[in-house]
Amino acid sequence: MNSWKLKEIVVMSVLSVVFAVVYLAFLPVGKILVGFFGPIGYDLIFGIWFIVSIIAAYIIRKPGAAFLSETIAAAVEVLLGNAVGPMLLVSGMIQGLGAESAFAMTRYKRYDLFTLMLAGVMAAVFSFVWGYFLSGYAALSTGYVAAMFIARIISGAIISGVAGKALSDALAKTGVLSSFALGKEHRRKHAA
Amino acid sequence: MFLHDLNPTVKALTIIGAVFLLAFVFDPVTPLLYIVWTVLVTFLFGTFKKRYYLYYFIPFTLFAFGMFWTTIVFSDTASATSETVSFLGMEFPTEDIWTAAALGLRVLAFASLSLLFLFTTNMVHFILSLIQQLKLPPKIAYGVLAGYRFLPMLKTEFQQIRAAHRIRGVNRPDSWKEKLLQYQRFAIPLLAGAIRKAERTAIAMESKGFTGAKARTFYRPMRVQWKDWLFPVMMFGMLGVTIAVLLYFGYFSWYDGQL
Amino acid sequence: MSQEVIRVEDLTLHYEERQKPVLSHLNFSIDEGENVLILGPSGSGKSSLTHCLNGLYPRELDGSMKGEVYVKGRRTDSYPAGEMAQNVGVVFQDPETQFCMITVEDEVAFGLENLNTPYELMVEKVDTALRSVGMEAYKTANISELSGGQKQKVALACILAMEPEVLILDEPTANLDPVARKEFIQLLKRLKKELAFTLVVIEHKLEGWLDLLERVLIIHEDGELAYDGPLHDHLKTYALDIHEMGIQLPYATRRALEQEWTPPYPLHIGEMPAVAFPENPPAKSAGKVLLKAEDVHWKSILRNIHITFHEGEWVAIVGENGSGKSSLSRILAGIQSPSKGTVSLHGRSLKKWKENEMRKEVGYVFQNPEHQFITDTVYEEVAFSLRHAGMKEAEWTKIVEETLKFCRLDGLEEQHPFLLSQGQKRRLSVATMIVEDQQMLFLDEPTFGQDEKSTSDLMSLLKEKHENGTTIVMITHDMELVDKYATRVLVMNEGELSFDDQPKELWALPDLVDHHLELPPREQWKRAVWKREEPAYVSS
Repeated sequence: MNSWKLKEIVVMSVLSVVFAVVYLAFLPVGKILVGFFGPIGYDLIFGIWFIVSIIAAYIIRKPGAAFLSETIAAAVEVLLGNAVGPMLLVSGMIQGLGAESAFAMTRYKRYDLFTLMLAGVMAAVFSFVWGYFLSGYAALSTGYVAAMFIARIISGAIISGVAGKALSDALAKTGVLSSFALGKEHRRKHAA
Repeated sequence: MFLHDLNPTVKALTIIGAVFLLAFVFDPVTPLLYIVWTVLVTFLFGTFKKRYYLYYFIPFTLFAFGMFWTTIVFSDTASATSETVSFLGMEFPTEDIWTAAALGLRVLAFASLSLLFLFTTNMVHFILSLIQQLKLPPKIAYGVLAGYRFLPMLKTEFQQIRAAHRIRGVNRPDSWKEKLLQYQRFAIPLLAGAIRKAERTAIAMESKGFTGAKARTFYRPMRVQWKDWLFPVMMFGMLGVTIAVLLYFGYFSWYDGQL
Repeated sequence: MSQEVIRVEDLTLHYEERQKPVLSHLNFSIDEGENVLILGPSGSGKSSLTHCLNGLYPRELDGSMKGEVYVKGRRTDSYPAGEMAQNVGVVFQDPETQFCMITVEDEVAFGLENLNTPYELMVEKVDTALRSVGMEAYKTANISELSGGQKQKVALACILAMEPEVLILDEPTANLDPVARKEFIQLLKRLKKELAFTLVVIEHKLEGWLDLLERVLIIHEDGELAYDGPLHDHLKTYALDIHEMGIQLPYATRRALEQEWTPPYPLHIGEMPAVAFPENPPAKSAGKVLLKAEDVHWKSILRNIHITFHEGEWVAIVGENGSGKSSLSRILAGIQSPSKGTVSLHGRSLKKWKENEMRKEVGYVFQNPEHQFITDTVYEEVAFSLRHAGMKEAEWTKIVEETLKFCRLDGLEEQHPFLLSQGQKRRLSVATMIVEDQQMLFLDEPTFGQDEKSTSDLMSLLKEKHENGTTIVMITHDMELVDKYATRVLVMNEGELSFDDQPKELWALPDLVDHHLELPPREQWKRAVWKREEPAYVSS
């Protein structure tokens, strides 16, 4: 934790707070989709719920950013009264660990689109395994479970990976990230 | 009141422990009894507006029912047996109903446990207790507190941005692409403002001598006293008793490869 | 001889992203108990200097820092991190972002905890600090529920609790309304008498600070020290140079510059000669009815509002924070619907207007211009509504160019709106609201947090717009603006409209203070001259 500057931690936690609210806002959307498609409804947009770990890691680029931001977001969600309660905290940690694992695989060196999409995929895989245990997907038919899994992976790659990157890049253009890793990279590219 | 004065970390760990154990239970009776117990404890040993508890609890009930319903409808056909039960005019295998009810009530049991925590815990005290009891690094803890303070501010910012966008005439997206773009338009000023403020907050904290060092004194010392252990004894004790009784009557069902 | 507390030797500061130094070869020292003002144009690195003095730099700096900074004879970088807070405390500009705790007492204790103050002593010091700023009644209050002025007092208490030798105030009142600002300065004057500390103030507005501060350091745009010496003498002679830096001089001095009097310039209203002072231009006879509010109520915030706006008016809405000014203006501009009553534009209820038709008539400039930005470049920002209006390209590009020019934003077309200066951002938000030639323009505190230069740029722009027939409605706390520009003023008081007439009638009211309002300086001057005695209110 010593390599982290305080401003990086505060910015990460503010991002987590913002996205905790976004996460809560997307729950009803998920519920509507579930109404149409069954439990797979959530999986279609599941990537939303990993996005802060990808954004925080992409902006700050320090070990632990993905894990911590997702954990804090989950904690804030619980505080705001998410339906799943404390278990959500564990889910958040597991999703965060999934995303974190992708960045760890590159030894925290690569932050390109591929890595970010991979982080989304890993978060999806980790969260699915956990969900399988926690929510008892066991009771569902195998084909359906497989479809859920694939939907979640795609959603993780596209929504959290691609959209997370696009949002962070748009943010970098405003100049507010100038003292963070992404902002510095943006400036170097701009200067070049 | 007892629940409010409990050490928040002990309270949180007890609840997480109970939730974890309940996740292994696959019969509906255990969670049902445990819900009753938890709600009882909350109301007896906590002070809060009872009305709000209901506001929070009702959505959970709907969610639990949704869980119950989808589990039946999308259940694993291989596990179905010949026994069926009629429900809402449709025939379902008894075993599925049993499992579905277990899953639905489990959600509700989780909910009642987390509401116990939410309604009787001061969040700042919780974080301070995490620093003092679980040695959470102060840098993270106070960073999170600083971020948490932003919540009300973000709400007003959000409303202002929405009004400001309305003036610009962008609130009526007519295509998917436009809709996505609109999310981004919303997010950018909100996030940019929040990041700038976060940075300033960090500078102000450091100017007050905050270094993140573990050695610090506390204006609100959090301690674990003997009476704090009453809560885990109560909660785990009740879970143990419930399981023992149900085992005796043969209702209990542990996680047993319901996969 | 008093002791030296701060010494800066050949300090040069570079940021990573910039070629030119922010601070360049600074040399100065500050003695115990001195009261120093630091002046400089925006972007001259005054705030960066704060970070150098309290030891935040070079630790948190992305860039390079050369030269030495000594606090109490010891180099700042040789202090262990955190210990500097006992020597140098800073109160920052933004009341919203100086806190990390929820309640007032926890926040004051936070600094003491950082210094490892023992529990019993800490409890005592929290009380003492809150008492010294007069906030003891708010000890257990939530910080988010306090007003801006109260927040700054709490920020000050947090620093005082740590008992630093040097207190740095980095534009502490820039985000406060004039009444809260005056209170804050009064508080400092009292504290300065009670407690011994060295005071360093960075400010853009000099009104009120002059009897507290004796010495001034002026930092040039290029980061060099341009002047170091007595404040009052310098101001009396070189007021014009300081004005050109974008610093807002006291009213008396500004007036003297405008009238091209010769130095020494007056610094206080009391020092002004009894020459004929300009009266406000008589209000133009109002045109036909433009917007009308009848029996408007909104939630529990607004009650029983009846107002009629005419073409060609310049209306100021004033009143205490929370009196319903913003809510009222939003309802009038059709952003919010009233819970009861009607608002009609050109005789037609706003409910019956189509949103995009109404927006061509009524513009609204929000307090934070960033909230209104929706594109990536200045050009696109202005072009946005025209692009969607179905005009020919040649036609709208011409309008965009003209509008940019009018708002003095030409040359910045490709910039990202968020990267503009405060003043440019504000002018851009105005540009987006006049590009469709709106007949009525609402502005929510248009000069809030802006320096003198951007304020006057903006106001002259609005004036030109007004002369061309646009009706302007602005919310403001600044009575000088009301006095100078408004043809009519509305006072909001606890959700009701308590006054609606010309400004001069407002100044004549005996109970102005009860409305949390003060007299504009021109009026104060006038009265000071009338009375031919000590003015009731000394402006500085």
